[in-house]
Amino acid sequence: MSALVERLIADVAARHPRNLRGVQEARELDPARFDATAERYLGWLQQARGEGWLERSVDAFAQFSGEVIYEQARYEAAGRYLHTSFAEAHDEVYSQTHVMDDYLWGVYLTNFLWSHHMDIMRFFQDRFLAPLPNGAHLVEIAPGHGGWGVWALHARPDATLEGYDISPSSIAIASSIAKAAGVDARATYTLRNALDLAAMPEASADALICSFLVEHLEQPELLFAVIGRILKPGGTAFITGALTAAQIDHIYEFRRESELVLLAEAHGLRVRETLSVAPRRILPKAKLLPRSMAMAVTRRAHDDW
Amino acid sequence: MSDTLARLTEVFHDVFDDDDIVLTRDTTAADIEAWDSLMHVTLMLRVEGAFKVRFNAGDVTGLKNVGQLVDLITARTKG
Repeated sequence: MSALVERLIADVAARHPRNLRGVQEARELDPARFDATAERYLGWLQQARGEGWLERSVDAFAQFSGEVIYEQARYEAAGRYLHTSFAEAHDEVYSQTHVMDDYLWGVYLTNFLWSHHMDIMRFFQDRFLAPLPNGAHLVEIAPGHGGWGVWALHARPDATLEGYDISPSSIAIASSIAKAAGVDARATYTLRNALDLAAMPEASADALICSFLVEHLEQPELLFAVIGRILKPGGTAFITGALTAAQIDHIYEFRRESELVLLAEAHGLRVRETLSVAPRRILPKAKLLPRSMAMAVTRRAHDDW
Repeated sequence: MSDTLARLTEVFHDVFDDDDIVLTRDTTAADIEAWDSLMHVTLMLRVEGAFKVRFNAGDVTGLKNVGQLVDLITARTKG
């Protein structure tokens, strides 16, 4: 175990002991892979955030994780997500800069501290990044903390990336992670609503990343239309979404994996591979299984598939 | 022991199925092996029911020890 990973686990144990078991479980699944992923992400985090980086980030992770479980319990009781409109999520989260910053840093750490997100990371690396063509130009829609796209640039030194996000916090944080990773010369982040189809260049991307955005939208079909437009024919995308998994800003409730597959197919995307994963432990007596789903899709290049 | 702490102890015994748990204001999750993030939410929902109070997500995720939970219950029951 590296010094950074040791520091992380010691800090969680000392200041957020309720979160320790989940972190240990994420590592125990594949310690070597966990350590390699954590070492990289933590190193970037340290450079990006400076003094107090670990404590502030672990606090954000614990806060975010606790709120997710709490919202899931409320969802179980109510049978519906707390909010159903973008305006509600905007008022409570997206428009609050300090809330948004902590939120993004908390989510950043879930890429490896949640065991089922480690599964998604493995899929991302093995099933999406590895087969990319040399010199691929990627577009990232709603990069959030930037951790997915920056990982892609780190893994593929020949690739370039354009990120579009509606949140100034996201642009700032993703840019800081890219700089910390030393890939900022190959990454640009622009404040723009990626769902504005007319503003996006058509068939401009060899590959596309869109992680955990679709459940935040009132009309998820618009996102898939954008993805179908931006990708070159034969281009590939990594898309993830949450199903029956509550968060304060999840407003579109997906219940079945097939819903995401059908949305992709309806917009000219061939679903090559999927992965549906759930947390190893969920609320006692839960009726609903919260899942994260990842898809590797290809924009079809033939008239009839 | 305050009345709130005594009633809270009963809730802990029930949720963790362990009558040997002894609570003080300084008790933390590090003192009770099964008190992880999932059980914490289960515990908070049971506390809400037992004390007829309502918390929000920010309240319950920030709690560091039993003393802070007692104070939160007191604040909510006064309100």
